[in-house]
Amino acid sequence: MARHPVPADLIDDLNRLMAEEAEACLRYFQMRFRVRGPGAAAAGRFFEEAIKETLEHADALARQIHALGHIPALRINLTLDGASMRSGEALAEALDVEQQALDAYQEFLPRVAGDPTLEKFIREQIATETEHVEEIKHVVRTAHSLKLVTPRTAGSPKTRRP
Amino acid sequence: MDTWKEFEANELTHSAAHHLLAIHDVGLEYGGWARVSDIARALNITRGSVSINLRALKKRGWVETDAHRLVKLTASGLQIVRTVMAKRVVLETFFTDVLGVPRSQAAIDSCKIEHLISHSTGERLALFLRFLASGDAANAARASRFRRFHAKCPKSGTCEVCKGQCLVDEMKRAI
Repeated sequence: MARHPVPADLIDDLNRLMAEEAEACLRYFQMRFRVRGPGAAAAGRFFEEAIKETLEHADALARQIHALGHIPALRINLTLDGASMRSGEALAEALDVEQQALDAYQEFLPRVAGDPTLEKFIREQIATETEHVEEIKHVVRTAHSLKLVTPRTAGSPKTRRP
Repeated sequence: MDTWKEFEANELTHSAAHHLLAIHDVGLEYGGWARVSDIARALNITRGSVSINLRALKKRGWVETDAHRLVKLTASGLQIVRTVMAKRVVLETFFTDVLGVPRSQAAIDSCKIEHLISHSTGERLALFLRFLASGDAANAARASRFRRFHAKCPKSGTCEVCKGQCLVDEMKRAI
């Protein structure tokens, strides 16, 4: 069944969501080399997993945009540098990024009411992001070792993020 | 000759200045509180970038956030914004009214340096503008004459200002 045409501003917002995910991917890509001290190796694995998952999310958004008849437009303006950091600090930054992604999806949800495909997709993203945010909050709150956060095995129903 | 290092070590970076100004502008209609999404749109960057940059501003005590992740300038953050805005006005006025630079270019150039010039230089520049506008007809005439002034550089490439290297020619040759 053909889908109704989607307003241009909605495509803009989908592109923004894609930019959030792609930028988070690049941020984690660089951040893993900044972590020093206890937990650095575990943090490295943690961010490697996050790189894959944010890229998957960006890809999923790009496919949604493409399915709506548009070419994904990725607009990011980013310079990543900075000194070394402890794993706790890196996690706190990751939490900020993930929380913003969750907020962005939640704010976007009412805009796709009436489009069952997009609505389902955004709801799934919200569920995944909520899970990620809660996981990071838990790690930050309890100061558990990053070793507690392990990547899910292939074929699991949901992707995971830090 | 280490001024360039000062430029890089400037406590208020270009990015920080723009974030503070955006928070100020976005928050104007909401009692000073701004949403990260609106700040991101104003700056044309992602929300993730804004949230990371806000961490540095919070550490410096320039912004505060609430439980809903809304952002507001602190008293010191607001003072920085006021100072930057004052410098911007002074610079823009100087570029347009004194130098005769087109308004659009003046806006771009003042934006680039508003947060970099010292407070004392900004103050002197403001005083200079006041001096020109003080009602003394000779000052106004001098400023007006300057805007119409086009120097013919000597072929030798020297004059009292350039002293061996024609500065005007260097600007014209700029890549």
